[in-house]
Amino acid sequence: MTQTPTLSRSTPRINLRDAGTFFGLILIFAVFAVLNPVFLTAPNLVNILQQSSINACIALGMTFIIISGGIDLSVGPTAAVSAIVGASLMLAGVPIPLAVIGAVATGMACGLFNGTLVAVAGLQPFIVTLGALSLYRALALIFTGGNPIFGIPPQFREAINGLVMGIPVPVIIVAIIAAVLWVVLNRTPLGEYILAVGGNPEAARIAGVPVARTKITVYVLSGGLAAVAALILTGRLGAADPTMGNLWELDAIAAAAIGGASLMGGKGSVIGTLMGAVILGGLRNGLTLMNVQAFYQLLATGIIIIAAMLIDRATRGRTR
Amino acid sequence: MTLSASRLSLVGVSKTFPGIRALDNVSFDVRPGEVHGLLGENGAGKSTLLNILSAVLSATAGKIFIDGQPLSLSRPADARAAGIAMIHQELQHIPELTVSQNLFLGRPLTMAGGVLVDRRQQERRAREILADLDPHINPRAPIHTLKVAQQQIVEIARALLDDARIIAMDEPTSSLTPSEFESLAALIARLAATGVSIIYVSHKMNEVFQVCDRATILRDGRFIDTVALADVTEDQVIARMVGRDIAQERHVSHARPEIVLQVEDLSADRLIRNASFSLHRGEVLGIAGLVGSGRTELLRLIAGIDRARTGRVMLNGATVDLRNPRTAIRAGIGLVPEERKKDGIVRERSVASNIALPCMSRFTRFGLVRRRALHTEATMLMKKMGMRPPDVSRAIGTFSGGNQQKAIIGRWLAADVDILLFDEPTRGIDIGAKAEIYDLIADLAKAGKSIIVVSSELPEIIRLSDRVMVMREGHIAAILNSDAISEDAIAAHAIPRSRGPDFPAQPLEAQP
Repeated sequence: MTQTPTLSRSTPRINLRDAGTFFGLILIFAVFAVLNPVFLTAPNLVNILQQSSINACIALGMTFIIISGGIDLSVGPTAAVSAIVGASLMLAGVPIPLAVIGAVATGMACGLFNGTLVAVAGLQPFIVTLGALSLYRALALIFTGGNPIFGIPPQFREAINGLVMGIPVPVIIVAIIAAVLWVVLNRTPLGEYILAVGGNPEAARIAGVPVARTKITVYVLSGGLAAVAALILTGRLGAADPTMGNLWELDAIAAAAIGGASLMGGKGSVIGTLMGAVILGGLRNGLTLMNVQAFYQLLATGIIIIAAMLIDRATRGRTR
Repeated sequence: MTLSASRLSLVGVSKTFPGIRALDNVSFDVRPGEVHGLLGENGAGKSTLLNILSAVLSATAGKIFIDGQPLSLSRPADARAAGIAMIHQELQHIPELTVSQNLFLGRPLTMAGGVLVDRRQQERRAREILADLDPHINPRAPIHTLKVAQQQIVEIARALLDDARIIAMDEPTSSLTPSEFESLAALIARLAATGVSIIYVSHKMNEVFQVCDRATILRDGRFIDTVALADVTEDQVIARMVGRDIAQERHVSHARPEIVLQVEDLSADRLIRNASFSLHRGEVLGIAGLVGSGRTELLRLIAGIDRARTGRVMLNGATVDLRNPRTAIRAGIGLVPEERKKDGIVRERSVASNIALPCMSRFTRFGLVRRRALHTEATMLMKKMGMRPPDVSRAIGTFSGGNQQKAIIGRWLAADVDILLFDEPTRGIDIGAKAEIYDLIADLAKAGKSIIVVSSELPEIIRLSDRVMVMREGHIAAILNSDAISEDAIAAHAIPRSRGPDFPAQPLEAQP
């Protein structure tokens, strides 16, 4: 109960938690570097970033929602719906930029639906987005009859699969998004509001924070980022699959949690989440390089998540 | 020191939190079978001491002995094992479970080799123990069906089940009727006669003098004295509790004739009925009344936190949009809430961030927060208010209650509101900071802010207020002018009458 006095003495200027995540990242990469000489080569590192980019994109949106005290289980189906809308528009001859906007708008609309139910109707985020998970998946399946949409214009595929200065386009897209989101979280009123709403919603409300608007914004953001991830995957596969994004929400939550986001709200970091996504991506990449069975990859992922949380608790030095 | 003769001995116990010395070298003894009062104002260190005894907190320095044995308390279970039981102000049990289930919670009597709970055995033991305390309590009744006084007895029974040698009671009578207090007093006397030592924490002098043998007085975390109550008067005890500088300062009014805030016919279902009053520029209006009389609810309506059913609030002649706190703040009304942790602060965020919340736009340019400007202004505000240390980039949760309160006040200064609503402004704040908060409120009034203060402490209300509004059962019972303010007058209006006409038409409005 009396916990105020046992809080850590000061808020460090350099985020210690991020430093911890970075240390974990280095450790895991060092282990793989020793075990397999290919792991630490430039092409493979680029590969890891590429493989992590979709999860990173989703996880960044998830991080904002988690910081605000919520959760979004519907990111995978949101991605699927967005991909299908985008692909259908492209096939209908709509110019690619407009189709992209249409897809992102679809994702944001999904987020708006979730956010409104959470912030205005006051429903629990877990349940709302659990329902939305089924709902959006059903919409995607019904609209397509369960079949993937093929025939994505080659220009779009080339744009997504291209390289800029040797770096894959998806990595660049996610890097730009992350930079913008870092600024939003750390340097804008919205960022302050998100942290305040997640930290103590009632105090935030009494202090005049627009709580409902803040919550809705993070869900819309998450929906939009799900759509971006969906577009990246659509470009890479050359098809929009209505079953796209199965279990994405869990990978995203894992990346956010490894990166220091607290499911209690009020805490989380853009850089931490990025590193979390790279840790998960690197892990899978390394184990694949070593020809470890997929079952063991799952095992390793589970161990990493739980180990990260234990270290988190231990370093905060606080028992409740 | 004769350790053998004392049941409980504290030697040089200290506890420091960041920025505050909650207990400073406290030593005293409690004898076997003694009822020992623990006295002190809010923030004197009583709660900290109880928390150390029940091992919720660990002492920074000092030793504790029980029956001469040094005690090492690291977990609450240690305290229980050592025979220390705590009866909290807020009783701790699970409402839906029965009396006997609550009694044996966490240490069930079992049968069939420890696999099954032996309910019948539990109920029999419960009945045995309760027979001595209150035979009317049915061990099979769900505990929420009991009266508060009976629930308290169940807690005492639980302590006895644990073979407690020391039972500490924190404000045990806060929700008891006078007759229930009499039976509790009798029960305490019987327990003491069996050799159990009781530590009795209360604000109410008459109770302490009736129940306790000796009392230890704390002030600002320091041990002041242990007195035999037969040898002292209430006034002497109070003087030592309050100590030096609480010499009543003359109240100076800064109220100006101009009316700033006009509350008209404000109602909310059952809680507030047709509240109308006005507030002048530079005025401090106190709101007194019993707990539950609607004081907090009234403030929350004016601050836009809860919705009013009828009525309106006019600020400088314009109707205030009270749809939510945001609109109220924009109009110039800010609330310093009673429950700081729950309603006031965002613990993990810095003092500066907490200050900036209502007025982010002031610290924003081109969509980005001007950290430097925010830091400078927050530091300036906090220095002016005497925050120690004035490090506004530290998480607000690491500061003492008084400093947190200053930050919340600073928030409204930064937002430049005209009307400040204080709900129990010094609750949970140590005495030094308390005086500073008083001065701050007076300074704000002098600077032309208009202020409403809700407080349960009559001396506080009387010291701060230009006028006092007394609430009773959701409506305004009276508004007292400065010359009519006294504890007696406030109490006379605050206490509900069972019969007779409702208060005759009072001259509700009065010029300050």
